[in-house]
Amino acid sequence: MRSLAGRDVFFDSEGFLVDPSQWSEEMAEQLAREIGISFLEETHWRVIHFIRDYYLQNGRAPLHRELKKGSGMPLMEIEGLFPGGIKMGARLLAGLPNPRTCGM
Amino acid sequence: MIYLDNAATTFPKPREVLERMIDLYAAKGVSPGRGGYDCAQEADELVSGVRQRLCQFFGGDDPHRVIFASNATDALNLVIQGAVKPGGHVVSSQLEHNSVLRPLHHLRERGLIDYDLVPFDGQGFIDPDDVARAIRPQTQLVVLTHASNVLGTIQPIEAIGALCREKGVPLVIDTAQSAGVIPINISDWGVSALAFTGHKSLLGPTGIGGLVLSRSFEVQPTRFGGTGIDSQELIHTPTYPHRLEAGTLNILGIIGLMAGLDYLAAHGMESILQRERALARRLWQGLAELKRVKLYGTDRLDRRLGVILANIEGMIPADVGAILDGDFGIATRVGLHCAPLVHQRLGTGRAGGVRFSVGPFNTESEIDQAVEAIKKIAEFRRTG
Repeated sequence: MRSLAGRDVFFDSEGFLVDPSQWSEEMAEQLAREIGISFLEETHWRVIHFIRDYYLQNGRAPLHRELKKGSGMPLMEIEGLFPGGIKMGARLLAGLPNPRTCGM
Repeated sequence: MIYLDNAATTFPKPREVLERMIDLYAAKGVSPGRGGYDCAQEADELVSGVRQRLCQFFGGDDPHRVIFASNATDALNLVIQGAVKPGGHVVSSQLEHNSVLRPLHHLRERGLIDYDLVPFDGQGFIDPDDVARAIRPQTQLVVLTHASNVLGTIQPIEAIGALCREKGVPLVIDTAQSAGVIPINISDWGVSALAFTGHKSLLGPTGIGGLVLSRSFEVQPTRFGGTGIDSQELIHTPTYPHRLEAGTLNILGIIGLMAGLDYLAAHGMESILQRERALARRLWQGLAELKRVKLYGTDRLDRRLGVILANIEGMIPADVGAILDGDFGIATRVGLHCAPLVHQRLGTGRAGGVRFSVGPFNTESEIDQAVEAIKKIAEFRRTG
């Protein structure tokens, strides 16, 4: 547990939120700085919000093709946009839980 | 979709396998051996016929000792838990899948057994001398994979079988990756038990697999129930195959397995192997030329199956797999492949790698597209 964006938050050993409902934009900004993004731009937010909204509506992360279509960006670009890549960058900043399967 | 995850399960299945399953299950899909009606007897004969074919296929010495299970993991659990006794010792390897590691760990945690895992070399091979050195007076079993599900490397089972026979220790092999693509003869090789799955290179459906036991090897039952015979007894049927089977068999899966064997017989296992190796060679050579791409294990492709592990420098394998899928329509398996010790040894840590595994229906064009995709990803990462 650590204090982030004014509240106590639980993270797992890889830095993913244990409880996705604790997420806030302020928290994402602070986490972004920690992984090397000094300022979250519109393209970052577009990806983060799509992933997060999809998760809240469907109870799971978007499929790869859904992420590509929904964000309007190839996955290769999303990977390059976040220093941690798709899983450890975009997904983490969107506050989704850590996927337990070793292939995610 | 370009499917390069055949080490997980072959896909698609041959049309003739699927059609045979539907037709025969529609005609004979009753409970085999149960009931006094003709169709039940015919279903039982069908099952016995598949036992005979599998026995012959794997060089077994008794078709009654072909045991059906759900898959290779299920079969390995049956044989490991049924063959070790308290205080015993098992020798296995760091190349193993969790289908072996987890049953062994479970037994050790319960204080029943101890085990040692022999290493593999930088090329991906176990040294038979290491196995010989690890065997103790208390060793009750040696359990090894025939071919690594991460690296595809084919292990020297014949040499290990010979030394196990000399030392009087039963050898169990996991053929999840090799059955149906590499010729196997457990009698000649000195193997006491073979675990197989039906849904990989045997080209059957998921949910069917089994064990082939040699006559000299006894396995105690670890699950009990109806077998269709000796119903008045509370003691589970002690004779094979019922000794290790309980409940209604997966006859649809068994039909699929039979149809898969038919497919292999018609198309030739050797021919399929050579084709898959040629595709794997094309993939290896293509990837080996790319900057920032690392390949693992031996480049002697005649000593491995069509399984290739790769990584792109500076990228998480899960992301490479996601891009391959989302941007290029290429299905691979990323991560640890349920074989964490292999990745520990390779230095690929918790993230693992990207595994490409070819199957009987891949084409040269698909392999070229996969190489081109990796090239684009690696270049984009450098310049993007």
